[in-house]
Amino acid sequence: MDYLTKLESKSIYIIREAYYRFKRIAMLWSVGKDSTTLLWLCRKAFFGNIPFPIIHIDTSYKFPEMYQFRDERVKQWNLKLIIGRNEEKLREGMGPDQGSKLECCNELKTNALKLVIKKYKLKAILLGIRRDEHGIRAKERYFSPRDSQFKWDYENQPAELWDQYQSMVEEDEHFRIHPILHFTELDVWNYIKREKLPIVSLYFSKKGKRFRSIGCVPCCSPIDSNAQTIDQIIEEIRTTKTSERSGRAQDKENIYTMQKLRALGYM
Amino acid sequence: MKYSLKNIKKALIIGLDGVPYSLLNYYFKKDYLPNLKKILKDGFSLHPMNASIPDVSSVSWTSFITGVNPGEHGIYGFTELLKDTYSLYFPNAENRAASPFWEILGKTHQKVSTLSQKYDKKINFPYRSIIFNVPQTYPAYPINGILVSGFVAIDLKKAVYPDSIYSYLNSINYIIDIEADNAKEDMNKFINNIFKCFEIRKKAISYFFENKPWDIFFACITETDRLHHFFFDASMNEDHPYHQKFLNFYILLDNWIKLLYEDFQKKFSEKGLFVILSDHGFCSVKKEVYINRFLEEEGFLKLRKEGEFYERIDYETKAFTLDPCRIYIHNKSYPRGQISKEEMSSLISELKNNLNKLKGENGEEVIDKIFEKQEIYQGPYIDMAPDLVCLPKDGYDLKGSLDKKCVFGTNRFAGMHTWHDAFCILPENIGLPEKPSIENISDFIMQFFSKLE
Repeated sequence: MDYLTKLESKSIYIIREAYYRFKRIAMLWSVGKDSTTLLWLCRKAFFGNIPFPIIHIDTSYKFPEMYQFRDERVKQWNLKLIIGRNEEKLREGMGPDQGSKLECCNELKTNALKLVIKKYKLKAILLGIRRDEHGIRAKERYFSPRDSQFKWDYENQPAELWDQYQSMVEEDEHFRIHPILHFTELDVWNYIKREKLPIVSLYFSKKGKRFRSIGCVPCCSPIDSNAQTIDQIIEEIRTTKTSERSGRAQDKENIYTMQKLRALGYM
Repeated sequence: MKYSLKNIKKALIIGLDGVPYSLLNYYFKKDYLPNLKKILKDGFSLHPMNASIPDVSSVSWTSFITGVNPGEHGIYGFTELLKDTYSLYFPNAENRAASPFWEILGKTHQKVSTLSQKYDKKINFPYRSIIFNVPQTYPAYPINGILVSGFVAIDLKKAVYPDSIYSYLNSINYIIDIEADNAKEDMNKFINNIFKCFEIRKKAISYFFENKPWDIFFACITETDRLHHFFFDASMNEDHPYHQKFLNFYILLDNWIKLLYEDFQKKFSEKGLFVILSDHGFCSVKKEVYINRFLEEEGFLKLRKEGEFYERIDYETKAFTLDPCRIYIHNKSYPRGQISKEEMSSLISELKNNLNKLKGENGEEVIDKIFEKQEIYQGPYIDMAPDLVCLPKDGYDLKGSLDKKCVFGTNRFAGMHTWHDAFCILPENIGLPEKPSIENISDFIMQFFSKLE
């Protein structure tokens, strides 16, 4: 088996295992390249018909290209889409300029997801998290329990030995399942290339700039790049020294720290 | 060696952020703090104390808890520069290179420091600590006991150890810090929030004090510093509209200390150590002084338009400042630095000369002291130290802002930190120097716990 097929098989095994254990399961889709890859793997796992709903957390601040891409795929792939919005906070005018960016993320992303989990009584969520994304992810498991506060107790998680995944769940908890944890950023692009996966156009260079990571409009900035094709992106990532999320303002903590220090007259 | 659990020593340490020695003395004279005065008569003495250099909370508290200077613990401020990109970062507990006293006492310390080397072998019992709201202890990490991080803690979930503490704090709507930004809008609401925050903090402190086991209990109050930043001009001026409110805060503080102290004495009178200290003093601000603007006007600093903050430093730059007045020579270790080793010493004297000539209102001197790094710092992290650090005359608040058009200015802040006017209250006759430095205090705490009786 070639390398990408191995990665794919492992992911599909986890997706099927998860669905077997949890009937109240859904997949979180941000419309970005990683979760779109996960979505593709879910389709493969169930021969084109995904038996669970797909959640899109809509902060209302996403790029128009993302909404368009979402709606096209829902139609094309016949997805059961759940749109999660924190309507109450949106009505109150929550946004990155109101309060802090951290607060905005908390309300429009985290709490919006909490609402969906509660409403649909979900016990497990599939996410497109990769181990190489961020230092903290190094400790992630494929099956990762969360309590009702969404807290991840990384020092007290069940052991995962070989492919014996721990998937028992307590009342009031849910499991986060990470079927593509073992993919790297480069693997994802190579896989997208092999599978000829459609991907949001924001990832490709226009006027010397492209997005390497996408989210909400106010908190994402493009990187300098001339990569207009997937091959060029793969070549760029192979040689780059900057981190994937460097264009995201959402090193949330830094922004908030800066705001706090400035409020006290520093900087 | 056997230990009877009955005889385990205990310590209660209270940190009051930014409370000046001179203000306490003034309030004692006015009889505003009767409880604290009574405690002093119980065998304690009040000392003036020097803060760390620079006199900001992150550095000063780190110097206190590690008992070493920044050259050894590696924390020089709230901000640092990444040399190769000129981008700012915010050092936190993970950047601290020396172990705090509770880790040495708790037998969990992982970093060797002068303090740990001196006491490691003398501590035979793993003491359990509750460390509450101490600045620069974020993100929380495992200790022998409980840790709730203080300023600049961002996410409460990451500010607690062990995790189980989170649900309690969340249930009382605990707040790490008031939103100082709100002071822009409504001063009245803002000062009321300071009181509210203090109430919640007291509630949490009492809960841990009463319900969880500990040998060392160390809690910091942040609200004093916030009150001072925005209302210090009200501290002694009886005609100030917020004078009574300011005083009320101190009366609440005085009462709270009394309750905690009495509780502590009741439980552990024979074997208890009681300490109160601040991390720096405060005085009223006359003017803010923007040192980077001064360096620009004197031709030491050249900023270009592109980039954020220090990314704007251009090739011609010889020196720049980080808050509050840490001056770095832009030498060849920076990508755009041009200053060679040979040029350093003459540039440093030139900078000192120019800074000393800086004059404020009516020709007053602005700079009180200028230190070269080797005069004040020792240890393995001296390489990252600023080349010069200035301390101002009281009233001139030195700032590192980059976007100012004049050297002098004013802001909404009423108070500024002082280096020379922190305080500590410790048992009398313990041979403490007349005016200790904040990094000397933890040595005394360690002595207390290492003495066999």
